Amino acid sequence: MFKLFLKIATRFLFKNKMYSFINVAGLAIGVASFILIMLYVNYERSYDTFIGSENVHRVFMDYLEGGKYVPGDANAYILSGPSLKEKFPEINDFVRFRRRHGMVLIHNNLAFDENIGALTDPSFFSIFDRSLSKGNPQTALSEPYSIVLTSSLAKKIFADANPIGETIKIVGDADSIFTITGVLADDNQKTHLKNDFLVSFETFYTWKIFQNDWKYTWNQNEYFTYLQVDESTNVDLLNQKVMAFTPEGLKNERHHLEPIEDIHLYSHKPYEAETNGNGDNIKLLSIIAFITLFLSWMNYMNLSSSKSLERAKEIGIRKVAGAKKSQLTLQFLFESALLNFVAILLALLVVYLLLPSFNRLVGQNLGFDSAQLKTLLPYLGIMLLGASLAALYPAFVLSRFSPVKVLKGKLQTSKNGLHFRRALIITQFVATIALLICTFMANKQIRFLKNRPIGADLNQVVALKGQVLNRASDSLFYPKFETLLDELRKSPYVDEVTAAGTYPGDAYANMNSNLGLTFPDGRIDDKHIWYNYGAYPKYFDLMGMEFAAGKAFSQTAQKWSRNVVINERMAHFMGVSDFEGIIGKTINFWEEDWTVSGVIKDYNHFGLKARVEPLIIRHGRNSSNVLVKLDKKATTMAGVNKALYDLERTWYKVFPLSTYNYTFLDQKFEAFFNEDQKFAKAFQIFTILAILIASLGLFGLTSYTCIQRKKEIGVRKVNGATITQILQLLNQDFIKWVGLAFVVAIPISWFAMHKWLEGFAYKTTISWWVFVLAGISALIIALISVSWQSFRAAIANPVEVLRDE
Amino acid sequence: MLLQLNNIFKWVNSGGQRIFLLKDINLNVEEGQFISIMGPSGSGKSTLLNVIGMLDAFDEGEYHFLDESVHSLKEKRRATLYKEYIGFVFQSYHLLDELTVKENLEMPLLYKKFKGSERKAMVADMLDRFNIVGKKDLFPTQLSGGQQQLVGVARALISSPKLILADEPTGNLNSKQGEEIMELFKQLNDEGVTIIQVTHSEKNAEYGSRIINLLDGRMI
Repeated sequence: MFKLFLKIATRFLFKNKMYSFINVAGLAIGVASFILIMLYVNYERSYDTFIGSENVHRVFMDYLEGGKYVPGDANAYILSGPSLKEKFPEINDFVRFRRRHGMVLIHNNLAFDENIGALTDPSFFSIFDRSLSKGNPQTALSEPYSIVLTSSLAKKIFADANPIGETIKIVGDADSIFTITGVLADDNQKTHLKNDFLVSFETFYTWKIFQNDWKYTWNQNEYFTYLQVDESTNVDLLNQKVMAFTPEGLKNERHHLEPIEDIHLYSHKPYEAETNGNGDNIKLLSIIAFITLFLSWMNYMNLSSSKSLERAKEIGIRKVAGAKKSQLTLQFLFESALLNFVAILLALLVVYLLLPSFNRLVGQNLGFDSAQLKTLLPYLGIMLLGASLAALYPAFVLSRFSPVKVLKGKLQTSKNGLHFRRALIITQFVATIALLICTFMANKQIRFLKNRPIGADLNQVVALKGQVLNRASDSLFYPKFETLLDELRKSPYVDEVTAAGTYPGDAYANMNSNLGLTFPDGRIDDKHIWYNYGAYPKYFDLMGMEFAAGKAFSQTAQKWSRNVVINERMAHFMGVSDFEGIIGKTINFWEEDWTVSGVIKDYNHFGLKARVEPLIIRHGRNSSNVLVKLDKKATTMAGVNKALYDLERTWYKVFPLSTYNYTFLDQKFEAFFNEDQKFAKAFQIFTILAILIASLGLFGLTSYTCIQRKKEIGVRKVNGATITQILQLLNQDFIKWVGLAFVVAIPISWFAMHKWLEGFAYKTTISWWVFVLAGISALIIALISVSWQSFRAAIANPVEVLRDE
Repeated sequence: MLLQLNNIFKWVNSGGQRIFLLKDINLNVEEGQFISIMGPSGSGKSTLLNVIGMLDAFDEGEYHFLDESVHSLKEKRRATLYKEYIGFVFQSYHLLDELTVKENLEMPLLYKKFKGSERKAMVADMLDRFNIVGKKDLFPTQLSGGQQQLVGVARALISSPKLILADEPTGNLNSKQGEEIMELFKQLNDEGVTIIQVTHSEKNAEYGSRIINLLDGRMI
């Protein structure tokens, strides 16, 4: 029986190549996009999931701001972990990470730079469920000056040799020697906290690079802290208690817990370990994934039931020959299954082929391996259910035909069926139009962000960064640093040189956040966070920042002074609206008096998603970033390359023993909307796919209606209707449906975009023309999809249909 | 002369063979005639009717309709021609199920650029003439076969054609209903409308003034 079914099914599919192609293609597109999106979504969702991860929570600090607590900082204090563990029995254990960027390791006189290292408690292994490929996790982080490397770093330094017991030097104020006690088993990069090496926390208390921090307890929060709570804990309750808990020495702040699994997608606090993903985008993408899948099923139902009309005769004959309804249903189900199976295979192939380019596009490294596919297994049920439901519908429609009527050529198609299909198409178009609107809006927003002035000119500015390996005390180092700046300035490719702790787009790196400031009028604020960093006087000029009042600090012999430049936001924060009036006034923080020398117009330091924060820029020596404005000579690719070569040469001339890196500021700033740009691109692609599927569906429905209205068309033509009039008759319905879909899609997409835009501090307007454009596009797409079929129906000779046999 | 067919041939190619549907048909139809075309199944009756109605093309020969050479006319002109002068009646009525009797009658007028008020008047006139005013708001499925065919004839007549082509107009009707339709045709013919009908029934053929017999696409 099945062999027969298979034979008939394959013959039918081969005979109707166009139909089979459209059907399989539609399904395959739907399934492939679903798999692709879900791979991406699952990858993003799987951050920080490990055995026991549901019991691990991060401690972050809420600041009391204007009488309300706001999430202030992703870090906690050095005492947070121990105090909380002591206070609450539900907390089994804690682990702290004190991270340092740009660490340089030296082994056998070879330097390995740009590493992120962290002082880590030994509980790391049990809490994060990590194991060592070499070494003993029980002891690896117990002794001071023990270091654990990731396998990739170990490979980089030691190749395939066993590093356990080897020593390695970490460059710092005073170089320190560490013993390698472990190598992490796998480099699980699906965590928000990516470290290249871990150093035992015990090292902190004697390691010179932290000597300034030894005295801090409740006044310097730089410790990522994670708690492992008991399985039976009611975390909400614990959170309440933790928030209410005020250890002695903690003021205007409180601890707060969040699940580690939620950090990557939902936490966007200051001082995150890395820029996290966007949970909203992931949600939207998942919705699209399901929409495309549903669209393709709808299509399938649509196409196969319309095709069924052409098979009415076959069914009639079979029934007359004695086929039971159930047998026919089974036959068509079998056909559906075959088609779906082919489509899924094809979809897998498509995914396999598209994955590399998809990865490039979204900047991920999604694998097409069993582990990744396993994450899709839960959706397999949905896919199977959907596919079988989609297959059942045409099977029932087909087997229901009454044989006598069918054989007499009186094809009775149910009105309900048509309504059902109409509803399918309208739904498809609602989705299409909504997706179109969202795509247009997302692109508009990104264009808006890109073109928005940020209050600084990052063009042609390069930040040079490096670690001097034999760095001596400040008094010896800074004269050399000045030499570097002077030497760089001499380069023919360089316009100007300055140095600063941080720069626009560098986000929270080297940025101090503070509480406590005495205003010029003597008022003291200790409730609002503000930020500060140090810079050389030429910084403002080089960065193209404009002064609303006053000027940059003037150069002093010792290269630093107690002068500051504030931004407008800071002036408003201090209750000053007359910017000129504040020039020369004194403010107080860090128990020092500072004189305001200028007010700069607000610029965006933290990207365009975040608001401008109150900011103070101190006149200070800071070697973190050497900022170089390139000359006009360095506008071409060749010019830039020569300039970069020149900069590097100069750098090494002054600091032969050092590491060196450079960053173009404009590129770094653009990276802020990488995530959104990727999202917009992904959105765009899947929108196109969804449109494709919807068009196929419309194509299918048109052929259905055309068959169904064949007689009507014939009668009308015989009674004098022209081809244009028939086309009008056939297409006006579709236009009506698109119109209806448009009306439904408007509020949905408006709402979705409104939500999406809430994530941005600077939003573009939701313009009416976006909706109109999407509506018109959908209409054009619809007309193109239906016209071919309806034109064919319109030019058909009515005699064919009206023949009375 | 209303129309003239000279040496009309129509064929299809099937399996390398040429099968003739119409073979050397010569026919003159004067205005006011009532012609019945008879012949066994597959003899080409309907094909001939469709050729006359300009719904079907032919492969060879000449066709003149009211001094126009149909065989050399453009599709558009041909359409205007039959729209203006020819009405069709079908065996299975071919009324549009979604439209009421009134709307079915109005439908051809929509394609002939009549004003709304004119259309209304013409439809009312037709409903009156066929005594179906009471049924104007019913759908075809609510009518008996005879009534449906009545509407079919009314629709064919509504734009006052010179020629009515009827393909077995009584084929789906019982004898009483059939008689009524044939009486109606007779009456219309008396009023000056030219009628060509295809029929199987000798009795119905008797209503006409002339009988054409076809066999295998040939007039005998």
